[in-house]
Amino acid sequence: MIKPEQLTPLQSQAASLPATGRFFLEGPAGTGKTTAAVARLLRLLNEGAPADSILIVAPQPTLALPYIEALRRADLPPGGQARITTLSGIAREMIALFWGQVAPSAGFASAAAPPTFLSLETAQYVMAQIVDPLVEDQGYFETVTLPRGRLYSQLIDNLNKAAVVGFPHTEVAERLKPAWAGDPASLRMYDEVQDAINRFRAYCLNHNLLDFSLLIETFMRHGLPVCSEMLFRRASHLILENVEEDTPAAHQVFRSWLARCESALVLFDSDAGYRRFLGADEDSASGLRAFCDQTLDFSDSLVASPSVQALTSELARIMGQYAEHVQGDPAAAFDYDLARFAPESLDWAAKGAAELIRQGAPPGEIVIVAPFMSDALRFSLIERLRERGVTARSHRPSRALRDEPVVRAMLALARLANPAWGLPPDARDLAYALMASLSAGETGALDLARAHLLAFSAYPKSDHPARLAPFESLPPEIQERITYTIGEKYDRLREWLEAHIRATAAPPTEDKPKRGRRKTVETTARLDPALDHFFSRLFGEVLSARGFGLHKDLIAADAVAALVESARGFRAAMERIAAFDSPAAMDDSVIAREYVRMVEAGVIANQYIGAWQRPDADAVLVAPAYTFLMNNRPAAHQFWLDAGGRGWSERIYQPLTHPVVLSRTWAAGDVWDGDSEDAYRRETLFRLVVGLLRRCRTAVHLGIAELSETGGMDQGLLIEVFNRLLRRLNVPGDGTAGSSNQHEGRADGI
Amino acid sequence: MKGEPMAFEPRAAQREILSYTGGKLGVAAVPGSGKTRTLSALAAQLVAERLHDGEEVLIVTLVNAAVENFTTQIRGFLKDRGLLMNVGYRVRTLHSMCADIVRDNPGLVALSDGFAILDEREAADILSDAVTAYLRAEPNAADHLLAADLDDGRRAALVRDDLPGLLTDIASAFIQRAKDLALLPEQVLENLQRFDQPLPLAAMCAAIYASYQRGLNYRGAVDFQDLIRLALQALERDEALLRRLRARWRFILEDEAQDSSRLQERILRLLCGEDGSWVRVGDPNQAIYETFTTADPELLWRFLDEVGVRAVDLPDSGRSAEPIIALANHLIDWTASGHPNAAIRQRRPLRPPHIQPTPPGDPQPNPPADEARIVFVGTTFTPAQEVEYVAESLARWLPDHEDETCAVLVPRNQRGYQLIDFINKNHLNIPTVEVLQSSTSTRQAAGVLGNVLNYLAKPDTAGWLSMVYRVWQRDTRDDPDRNARTLEIARILSQIAHVEDFLAPAPGGRDWLREDSDAAALFETDPPAADELRAFRDLVRRWQNAAVLPIDQLLLVLAGDLFRAQADLALAHSLAVVLRGYASRQADWRLPQFTEELASIARNQRRFLGMDDAARAFNPDEHRGRVAVTTMHSAKGLEWDRVYLLSVNSYDFPSGMPGENYYDEKYFARDGLNLRAEALAQLQASADPFTFDYVEGAATGRARQELIGERLRLLYVSVTRARRELIVTFNSGRGRSSQAAEGFIELRRYAQAELDVTMEDV
Repeated sequence: MIKPEQLTPLQSQAASLPATGRFFLEGPAGTGKTTAAVARLLRLLNEGAPADSILIVAPQPTLALPYIEALRRADLPPGGQARITTLSGIAREMIALFWGQVAPSAGFASAAAPPTFLSLETAQYVMAQIVDPLVEDQGYFETVTLPRGRLYSQLIDNLNKAAVVGFPHTEVAERLKPAWAGDPASLRMYDEVQDAINRFRAYCLNHNLLDFSLLIETFMRHGLPVCSEMLFRRASHLILENVEEDTPAAHQVFRSWLARCESALVLFDSDAGYRRFLGADEDSASGLRAFCDQTLDFSDSLVASPSVQALTSELARIMGQYAEHVQGDPAAAFDYDLARFAPESLDWAAKGAAELIRQGAPPGEIVIVAPFMSDALRFSLIERLRERGVTARSHRPSRALRDEPVVRAMLALARLANPAWGLPPDARDLAYALMASLSAGETGALDLARAHLLAFSAYPKSDHPARLAPFESLPPEIQERITYTIGEKYDRLREWLEAHIRATAAPPTEDKPKRGRRKTVETTARLDPALDHFFSRLFGEVLSARGFGLHKDLIAADAVAALVESARGFRAAMERIAAFDSPAAMDDSVIAREYVRMVEAGVIANQYIGAWQRPDADAVLVAPAYTFLMNNRPAAHQFWLDAGGRGWSERIYQPLTHPVVLSRTWAAGDVWDGDSEDAYRRETLFRLVVGLLRRCRTAVHLGIAELSETGGMDQGLLIEVFNRLLRRLNVPGDGTAGSSNQHEGRADGI
Repeated sequence: MKGEPMAFEPRAAQREILSYTGGKLGVAAVPGSGKTRTLSALAAQLVAERLHDGEEVLIVTLVNAAVENFTTQIRGFLKDRGLLMNVGYRVRTLHSMCADIVRDNPGLVALSDGFAILDEREAADILSDAVTAYLRAEPNAADHLLAADLDDGRRAALVRDDLPGLLTDIASAFIQRAKDLALLPEQVLENLQRFDQPLPLAAMCAAIYASYQRGLNYRGAVDFQDLIRLALQALERDEALLRRLRARWRFILEDEAQDSSRLQERILRLLCGEDGSWVRVGDPNQAIYETFTTADPELLWRFLDEVGVRAVDLPDSGRSAEPIIALANHLIDWTASGHPNAAIRQRRPLRPPHIQPTPPGDPQPNPPADEARIVFVGTTFTPAQEVEYVAESLARWLPDHEDETCAVLVPRNQRGYQLIDFINKNHLNIPTVEVLQSSTSTRQAAGVLGNVLNYLAKPDTAGWLSMVYRVWQRDTRDDPDRNARTLEIARILSQIAHVEDFLAPAPGGRDWLREDSDAAALFETDPPAADELRAFRDLVRRWQNAAVLPIDQLLLVLAGDLFRAQADLALAHSLAVVLRGYASRQADWRLPQFTEELASIARNQRRFLGMDDAARAFNPDEHRGRVAVTTMHSAKGLEWDRVYLLSVNSYDFPSGMPGENYYDEKYFARDGLNLRAEALAQLQASADPFTFDYVEGAATGRARQELIGERLRLLYVSVTRARRELIVTFNSGRGRSSQAAEGFIELRRYAQAELDVTMEDV
């Protein structure tokens, strides 16, 4: 924890601002705003402010981590807890609380039945039920080329944009159409979009479902007054973190709160706005300044060395942005490696990271980022680090859950443990599951050859229902090859699964509430077949135990947590929806099978990783660049992989929606053309580069591969910008200008 | 010679091109005139001397093989000038350039950024599904296409066996042309409805087109032709995009401009603009893609005549001995003045400039004239006899000429396979390099990955592990000694009783590397093998851990560890995309199924043309002492000391004389129509607002003329592949009805009468 004497004068000033008044803290990342806000939070608490009078709102949970950690570590007077939340968190809580009042006026079908909050994936599931028939029977969306999963998410995105920007969802098509610069024949897709989202909204209202958009709309229209009333009966001190990453809806809420609270700190990062594609609006955030009594300008970086600051400033100017000249040698803050092939870049980065650690750099001070991180890239990189004895951690939100090996292992075991589904796992999947489950560290690893041998000997295909055979029943020479250590663990896993099968097949017990459901299939009677419980017990009781594969495996633990959370949410939503349509509740095993189908189809994405995370272990972070930014922790050394690629400046294209056209700043009637795209790209690159550099203490190492992972020869904007910098700095090619893959520049430490 | 690090000393005509600083320049180059090298030198010069921040030189080539060739040469030139080697230029094929443009702006053409580009193989699968579905729904729809005098049994057999394939070919050409005309299925159908005359063949193709396009949409994918159509659409719709690209691509250098299609010309014209800088280099006499695409050598001729275009010839060629040059030049003259078909004489499919030998003192002198040998074998062979004759000739010649290069050029892949089969079956000692359809490298890359996947599917089998070792050491195959060592180590590996003892010895358990007597004996005689096997073990462990990744990601990991050639990496990526497609549609597929799919690609059962079939640059010099077997089309840009040309008969090289048969005019088609040509003509007629009628049969006639012209150019290309020796044969064809081609007869006459060369039998 930061001690008062470690604060800069400006931070001390912010921390000791009076407990009345509204203050706007403005400045680039890395200038110490959050640290000042945390210090102030602790000061308020120490001075006797009741904890529950403090409300901290962040745009997304990762951005609130410094507060969570500070509260966890601080030696505070006993009492309630300061609330740390997001706007949707508050909205959800309030609507649940005032449902009886809100439901009729907001047009929901029933105030008597409770509301169901949909996660992104359950919303996608509901959207699929609505859109699939339109696509298949009525030829909707024939003019766009788009995988199905992305179709659902873009439709949902439109609703969300309408809600957070604050226009009726029925206007989506009329806003998108005039901005379309493409083939007019394609315009019909927007009418189809409009029809689909109208139907979705109607369905939600009829079933008491609140997806994110309806949650925000309902809250803004019907929940805000009562909620503010209630909130400010207790809460009187506000800290609004990273408001530039929040939406106009949030800003509207904040404005009304600023008028009522006793004190407020509003933190604003300049040149950020990384969540623009989610509706974040920097302009409307900076409008909050007018509702504050005083602005404090944070401008001196506490993170970046003078060289890094000089580099930032040079690059900003090359990118056409205003930047003050900074004393320092930009060339000392970066180096680059020009390789012919992408894998050579990986070797270089792994070697560089290992070398830095050998020289004493803490692993946690090293990050390796790329604009996008494919499984192959992540795997190859982590393997290379591991081969050099470097521990890595990795975050990659929003990928399909099925792509997590540990998730596939859990699904295979779930199929095995639920013979009633009639979905026995494939023997190969089982081998992978055993490999993931029974390995223990480098020395106790279960290799693929043994795992295969074990799966194919212990899991006879003909045996139906498929069960695992006890280890001792295997031929002795097989037992010997697999080793008895592994065999012992195998038996523990097998017995656990057997116990589960027995328990779920047991006759109904008296104390088990039936939740009003009728008997549907013969295995209705069970201990508790809910899939989320199964996953969480399997992980907690076996797989994470000492000696098993997921013991202390942070990446796997994150994935399992996500799986459990996702399965739980899915089950809860499905039960509610089913209950709404018919008194006969949906059977858990039906839901479980449906869930497995969804995960295996790739629809269910990992939205949970990186939610309220634990403090990070001291390991090299391997992550997409934006994930690193949203973790908001600086690092001494940054390796930028695929620096020649185009991902640094490109957004995710969404033909059915549009982050800018649907924003507040878009002028009706304008057309989004190539120029707009180009300008947006340059802006994106600027923000990303500057954002990364402001979180960089010592040096950036660029890995450029002439041939990307795909064998293509990409030449993106980033390398062009650096090339111009090199020319300005008059750094010659590479001395001999020709020997590729040769290290150059003046890297600190490599 | 391609890619040789030899210093470049431009000769006069080349220097003139290198003096270019901007504007429009057209270069008519003859075979062997060093145009790739000249163009590369020009590109490097422009990069070094003429570019501002953010500008690039865009080099557009025809095939991927040329991309690598250009890149290597430009890098070399830039290196000599002390510049960064990968900045300031981009080398693209038309497809990859369009992919760049579309990727730059997918939203504009209603694509998502994750859109897939289907390779021709998957596109072909979708098309064939569409045809099957169509024929099932409309079993009699094709009746009107068949000759009336077929008996019922014959007709039924045709409908069953030949029709689906034929219809797929026709529909494929139809779809490609429709996309060239920027017509989507709805528009084609609309046009057909509006047209006064019923056009049943086009209607049939339009229905198939609609169903094909639905198939693409469903997969979130586009085919190659869509890519070009969409790029053009983006450029025409978005002025800002165009302006930006014009500013970026200050100079456009276009190679093989004679094979430029209408769309390519239109796109480059747009990118260049009124006052832009555009260099087009080509040899209209080598335009050989007219019948497959909308390529048209007339486009380049017209460009050369355009006002504002400086036209330059590159007429000197040091490639062939003078008698061979004379022969090629005579073919040009005869086509214009002596060809028996008046329409062809008028069309002049071959035109000057003539090829000129290099001037004295040139760094690249022509081979001496007295070493030239030209043989036109006058015997009328059957196809089998022709193959036998060539094989025997090779067997006699090869042992004494191991330092020379040699190729057998055939008009169709099938003839090449027949020759190779003959050589293999008769155990003739003739090492061959097959450069036929689905290039060897495609199959090798797929095979390499397939073998590793196969092992990962059966990770406890020593046999497959041993195969992985051989794959890992595949570079040693060309060296007999190293190859023998690889095979020996592989043999030892294949005898490991329990692979886990080698790969992952249990703590305290047996470690094969330390304890096996075979291994110990090996390390005794070959100490480096121990480290090598340890490295191999680490690699296999890594791959074992990667086995749990999604299939496409697994493939990329393997490719990253196994491949170093751009073509292989790109191919692995295409394969990964194909397999990911299967994975998402076939949830129950596991490694064995994926392996099987890769194996079938490797076995060439299915065509996999994710890349151009000539993905990798083929360098004849690397294959001295062996015989390259390739098609005349794929031989473009290459040269050999000795060249055999097969099947130069009236079927493969028609002249419009009575009694000739044409490949596209099927005997079972009504009135002997060329159904593909007629389908395209119907499409064209319905799309053109000024055309009011369609006359059946006219297109069949036109197609003949085009084919005759293109085949003359193909003959010209083939003749000019030879440096010193040219041996030409013909056969009577399957039906024994073909004769020597008119061109064969004329060149034979000319060589005997006019050239002082050896003509005895070989």
